[in-house]
Amino acid sequence: MEFAIQLVFSGISVGSVYALIAMGMVLTFWTTRVINFGHGSLLMVGALLTVVLGAGRLGFYKAALIALGITAVLMVLAERAAVRPLVKLAGSMGWIVSTLGLGIFLQGFAAKFFGSQAVAFPSLLFTNDDTIPFLGIRLSAQYLSILGLSLLIMFAMELFLRRSAWGRAVRAVAHDPDLSSIVGIPGRRVVVLSFAASGLLAGAAGIMTAQISGTIDPAFGFNLMVLGFVATVIGGMGSSIGALTGGIFLGVLEKLVGGYVSTAAQHGIAFAVLMIVLAVRPQGLFGKEEITKI
Amino acid sequence: MKRNMKTVVGILLMFFSAVIAVPVPGGVAMAADTIKIGMTSALTGPYNEYGEGNRRAVELAVQKWNKAGGINGKKIEIAMLLDDQLVPDRAVQNMRKILDNKEIVGIIGPAGSGPTLAVINMAAADGRPYMNPIAQTPTITYPNGTDKAPRANIFSFALQNNVEAIILGKYVAKRFKKVGLIHESTAYGVTGVDLIKKELKTAAKIEPVAVESYNQKDQDMTAQVLRLQKAGAAVVVCVGLGADLAVLRRNMGRLNFNVPLVASNGALSLPYWEGAKELVIGTKGSMIAVFGHEKLNPAAAEFAKAYKAKYGVDRWWGDDPKRPQIFMSLSVSNGYDAATILFEGIRRANSTDPKKIIKAIESIRNFQGVNALYSFSPQRHHAIEPDDLAMFEYVKTPTGSKLSIAKD
Amino acid sequence: MKKAAALFADSRFLLAFAVVIGAAAGFASLSALQLGSFLVINILLAQSINLLTGLAGQISLCHAAFFGIGAYGSAIFMRDLGLPLPATLAIGTLASAFFGYLLSFPSGRVREFYLAMMTLGFGMIFYEVAKEWTGLTGGVMGFSDIPSPELRNLDVFGFPVTSVWYFRLLLATLLVVLYLLRNFLQSHYGRAFYAVHVGEVAAGSMGISKAATKRRAYALSAAVAGLAGAFYAHLVGYLGPESFGLHKSVEALVMGVLGGLGSLVGPVLGAALLTYLPDRLQMFAEYQFMIYGAILMVSFIVMPRGLAGLLPGRTRFSKRPARAGKEEPPAVAPHRFTPSEARGEALLEVRDVSMSFSGLLALDGVSLSLPRNHVMALVGPNGSGKSTLVNVVSGIYRPTSGRVLLQGADITGWRDYAVARKGVIRTFQDPRNVPNFTVRENILLGAHHLYRHGQVAAALNIPSALREERVYLRKVEEVMEVTGLVTVADEIMRDLPYGYQRIAEVARAVVSDPDVILLDEPAAGLSDVELVRLDRLIRHLRARDIGIVLIEHHMDFLSDLVDDVTVLDDGKVIYRGGMEGMRSDSAVVAAYLGVEEVPHA
Repeated sequence: MEFAIQLVFSGISVGSVYALIAMGMVLTFWTTRVINFGHGSLLMVGALLTVVLGAGRLGFYKAALIALGITAVLMVLAERAAVRPLVKLAGSMGWIVSTLGLGIFLQGFAAKFFGSQAVAFPSLLFTNDDTIPFLGIRLSAQYLSILGLSLLIMFAMELFLRRSAWGRAVRAVAHDPDLSSIVGIPGRRVVVLSFAASGLLAGAAGIMTAQISGTIDPAFGFNLMVLGFVATVIGGMGSSIGALTGGIFLGVLEKLVGGYVSTAAQHGIAFAVLMIVLAVRPQGLFGKEEITKI
Repeated sequence: MKRNMKTVVGILLMFFSAVIAVPVPGGVAMAADTIKIGMTSALTGPYNEYGEGNRRAVELAVQKWNKAGGINGKKIEIAMLLDDQLVPDRAVQNMRKILDNKEIVGIIGPAGSGPTLAVINMAAADGRPYMNPIAQTPTITYPNGTDKAPRANIFSFALQNNVEAIILGKYVAKRFKKVGLIHESTAYGVTGVDLIKKELKTAAKIEPVAVESYNQKDQDMTAQVLRLQKAGAAVVVCVGLGADLAVLRRNMGRLNFNVPLVASNGALSLPYWEGAKELVIGTKGSMIAVFGHEKLNPAAAEFAKAYKAKYGVDRWWGDDPKRPQIFMSLSVSNGYDAATILFEGIRRANSTDPKKIIKAIESIRNFQGVNALYSFSPQRHHAIEPDDLAMFEYVKTPTGSKLSIAKD
Repeated sequence: MKKAAALFADSRFLLAFAVVIGAAAGFASLSALQLGSFLVINILLAQSINLLTGLAGQISLCHAAFFGIGAYGSAIFMRDLGLPLPATLAIGTLASAFFGYLLSFPSGRVREFYLAMMTLGFGMIFYEVAKEWTGLTGGVMGFSDIPSPELRNLDVFGFPVTSVWYFRLLLATLLVVLYLLRNFLQSHYGRAFYAVHVGEVAAGSMGISKAATKRRAYALSAAVAGLAGAFYAHLVGYLGPESFGLHKSVEALVMGVLGGLGSLVGPVLGAALLTYLPDRLQMFAEYQFMIYGAILMVSFIVMPRGLAGLLPGRTRFSKRPARAGKEEPPAVAPHRFTPSEARGEALLEVRDVSMSFSGLLALDGVSLSLPRNHVMALVGPNGSGKSTLVNVVSGIYRPTSGRVLLQGADITGWRDYAVARKGVIRTFQDPRNVPNFTVRENILLGAHHLYRHGQVAAALNIPSALREERVYLRKVEEVMEVTGLVTVADEIMRDLPYGYQRIAEVARAVVSDPDVILLDEPAAGLSDVELVRLDRLIRHLRARDIGIVLIEHHMDFLSDLVDDVTVLDDGKVIYRGGMEGMRSDSAVVAAYLGVEEVPHA
């Protein structure tokens, strides 16, 4: 029994990482219907910058804040350079390819100038051994902090979307950018802010996750991003609740399969689920089916 | 469409003619009368730890021999030094170029099992002496099994999986009954674990209670650790690289599953030490022993001096200015020994004829290299034996931790 | 230069040139041959992704999987089952095509981001299977000892295949594949790929089934990738799963994007550059990812048509079949009248159709009947349901209730392409043409569902296929004369003013040989001269036994032209009769102008 509970809790833990990543990704989707295929590299950049800048006199906490700022700015630049010019032409393939290119470029840049070897990442919030006993098993404090952060962000995003004026602005811009600008909503600003926020969340996810594995390298973040995608597809892209649920569901499923079937199957199950969900219910658990006027 | 066919053809023409006509870079060297060797390795890219280390080693060996006058008066030249980034396709292309160059006398192979497996048939068919510095898969040298004849021209300076498995298996079988195995899902990991299983059986008739695997760069190994725990493993034996080993150790700590961790040589690498931090205490790893001894053997001391003189105390050397890190025997000095033995073979043969060189190498007995005392024969083409290895352990010190040879 | 171009334009010279290259191979070094072989394999791989992503517009992040299926397929059947090279190449190709076909089913139903994810998932699953199924693929240890010319153990029916002959074989295969692809692209199948890429709905209105087209695109693309993979297996002699990961799919994508998606010469350029550069520049390896990333980031912005866009000329999408010399029979108009019409039933009948969208009632019990040689106007205020009615009749929506009958046959709920094939063609409010095609190629799209010859015939350019091409090309010429488009026949559609695009779309509808044409606001945005031409065209169509429904707001245009008018308001028919009567009908006046308010005293 302990085995199952531990698996479930570790699944929730891992899933909250996916959820955090997924929530960062849906932010840009809400305003521009674009998903950043280079999101994983932003995770890596956030973590890498923290380590590199923090090694000096700045200390890791200040470095982390600066890193977050840089990832936010990077996303704003990416929007200007790689997304905006392509959203209008070349359909969706344009931004998929260009954001993918962004991710690959960042990865190559990091590898060239910071080396390809794994670098150690310090524990910023709690250490590896900090655990909280619960129902006979031990919950890692580091994972709990990620879970807590994900929940917090989810609530914040929901509140923002549904209650605040800016939230309504975001929904308006997503629905009809031209109309919303006519009505006076600063569409440009909304879009830029959403990208900045997405970059911020990516950097935060990178920093929080790097603490857990203890090391990072330029390829860090890519696999997590793919799993984040799967989480958004499962949960549906329209809401942060969807992102959270999708992430947690995926994490728990992975761990249960790994624990009861085989750890080799654990890797493939996420993709199998991805393809099944896309085939059967592409809008995900919480998404709404989209009807466009012809 | 005709216009397009024209341009298609035009491009094809350009490239084919360029490919055929333009000489290959790094190809035929201008210098006459030198002994030319060729090398392909992971000079850049995610695995350049090994490739760059090997390159430096080979260059140091060349430097040393040339200073003493070369091989029988002729200077040695690394005529072709190519980068494959540990990508099999590229290694194949590089090897083809090296083999095409008829002036190449000896070859130093890639820095890992993947690309080596891809090029080994080609190299074996060619016949010129080929030194494998790192790739641990035994089938590279012994295609039909380690008890059968080796490939005629392949010599291995790597820590072969079966040798490492013997020492790991013996160590673990002596102390534990319930053994849990875990490995990375690569050729290295899979063969390593298979051989350890065999060794456990031979040494003490033990079957492992669980065998788990992980992908390189996995962030979370909870499922694997829980399964090992559930199976009642009293020790966890891991075949994998250092960074992933750190993730494993941290996972074990988080789940309070702090049984002894015994690992392959990845345990002694920097990423493990940096990643697992305080948790390294107690971890044991198998490794070539040379740099763990109090007093270095003459060849090792000479090598260390030469390396420090040229490159200083860097990432390959390690933290301690007084002595090189233990892992250097796997990332640097194995390449040095590979080149040294190749040159020694050419010297003894006093010829560049492949068969003569090979015979000469096979006649080497008790030659003091850096990593070991080398003895080859027509049946034995690998260099490192269990006696050259030791089990190392991270012990606590006032300032942190250090590696020392574990008690038997 | 021009003389050289003319020389190259001749296929026979091309062939001779390829023979020269093949002969020169006998003098090349082994590593040059190997590089040349890698180049040809990469060209094939780039062509394959171009087929699916460039032409059919379906983004693929899994081409490494197709490549790998072909590679492992050929390797397994040769090493473990002892089959000869031609057989294993064919098996690798077919196996890959099969999986491509399977993938098309779930993938064909999703688009954009979801499609990218779907292909990503498939690619990852293949990678995991290749790693885990050790018994079949050798797993992570890899699949070794594949007979290969490098090791001099590859032979075909007893004849040893050296590196030189392997390269020649590859070269010959490439030429054959390019020839077949060129023919395919220029056939109606190739045009259909592009049509589906640019607009699935518009393609449906021409009788092109988007699902069938996508299946074909996936299968063909996977086949070519599988063929490339099979050759790769024997070139290298060793297969490891790491060679078929996501990075390989990205490489294929970069080759396609860099070279230029949507053209035949683009993939050759992209492959050539990305095979040649890493080989020549050893330091390329260090910057490789940065270069790939940069290419992907800027290509669509800076060079949307890739390197191919820098070259003169464009990829043709129609054939130029030479005249056979004999007199060709004229294009025969099909016999139109059906027994049901002889009985006096209408050509097109809408019976009590209602259409509800999640509670919103767009059409409420609409009925109308349309005879031949008749032009009916369909008018009404905005939002009255005109376009919805046309969408229901043309098969885009299935009505919530009611029936649609064509020549007595019930076509209610039929798919849009099926309705088009049955003889109902419609145009759209915004002209939906393929922007990259010429006017001629666009109009030729209209004939898609009339073609009889199959894919193989199209690829091989066999005489009966060419004959059919000539027939429809002539038909297009005739229609262009009637619509006054002959002067712009070879202009690219997107370069033309709106008026031409609009008329071209109508011309496309005419070429389809429809029984019913539904025109959605065809007069909008046309100049006076163009209006006259449109008027003449519609009268011409009426004379040819076609029934025409005309949605319009342009009352002057309609007044002389139409035979009667149906007025919709709020989803209901409020008037059916002549134009004169409509102007004074109280219900119509109320719908358009509102009811006069009687001021309360």
